[in-house]
Amino acid sequence: MTKKIIGATEFEMLSEEKQLDILQKDGVYIGKREVGNEKVILYQLYAFYVEVYFEEYRKKINKMIISDKVDILQPYLDQIKVKDIDQKK
Amino acid sequence: MTKSTPPKGLVLYADDDPDDLQLIRDAFASYSETVRLLTFEDGASILNYIKKLSSFEPLPCLIILDINMPGMNGKEVLRKIRQIQEYEEVPIVMFSTSTLPSEADFAMSFGAGFVTKPLYTQQIDQLVEYIIQNCSEDTKRRFRGRRGKQ
Repeated sequence: MTKKIIGATEFEMLSEEKQLDILQKDGVYIGKREVGNEKVILYQLYAFYVEVYFEEYRKKINKMIISDKVDILQPYLDQIKVKDIDQKK
Repeated sequence: MTKSTPPKGLVLYADDDPDDLQLIRDAFASYSETVRLLTFEDGASILNYIKKLSSFEPLPCLIILDINMPGMNGKEVLRKIRQIQEYEEVPIVMFSTSTLPSEADFAMSFGAGFVTKPLYTQQIDQLVEYIIQNCSEDTKRRFRGRRGKQ
């Protein structure tokens, strides 16, 4: 079965539940950080990135930032495993 | 009349991420009457524990291994556990931050399940259900019995 690859704009238009199901299924974990009291996880999804801000870690989400700019990688550079990103392509 | 209670099933879980350890502790809290969860912060620790378990003690009913751990990662631990004769058929679930097909295939080749870490509460419920599905019939009965009491 061919996997449907969507772009950042199409992803943004989906419901949050659908976004999270796609992210869990197809997202590649890049790294994790803390911003104030929030835990934040960055995923690569197809050709863009999704940063998930948790109000409650892996239970309740506060917000998601969707970006196709590599600048979003900056706070995670020390955690990036190139092998993992390449493997998913 | 003496009323005896059945021994608790032993679940072992190794993950280097303290937040994920807590997530699974919370998920298993509802089953604490029937299942004892022991957690480890790295692959070497869980492997040492398994090797030190006496042959007179019951085998764990389930082992959960994070794949990406520093030092000995989950895949190495899985391979080494399967080399122990008594552990050839103990249910093991690999727990991963990403759904990489190569890692799922690796888990399957060692008779282990594979599940991606959740992102919200409903996915945690699905995760627990998946983990239970990977257990032996005896362990499934333990979990289901507990769930019926909730």
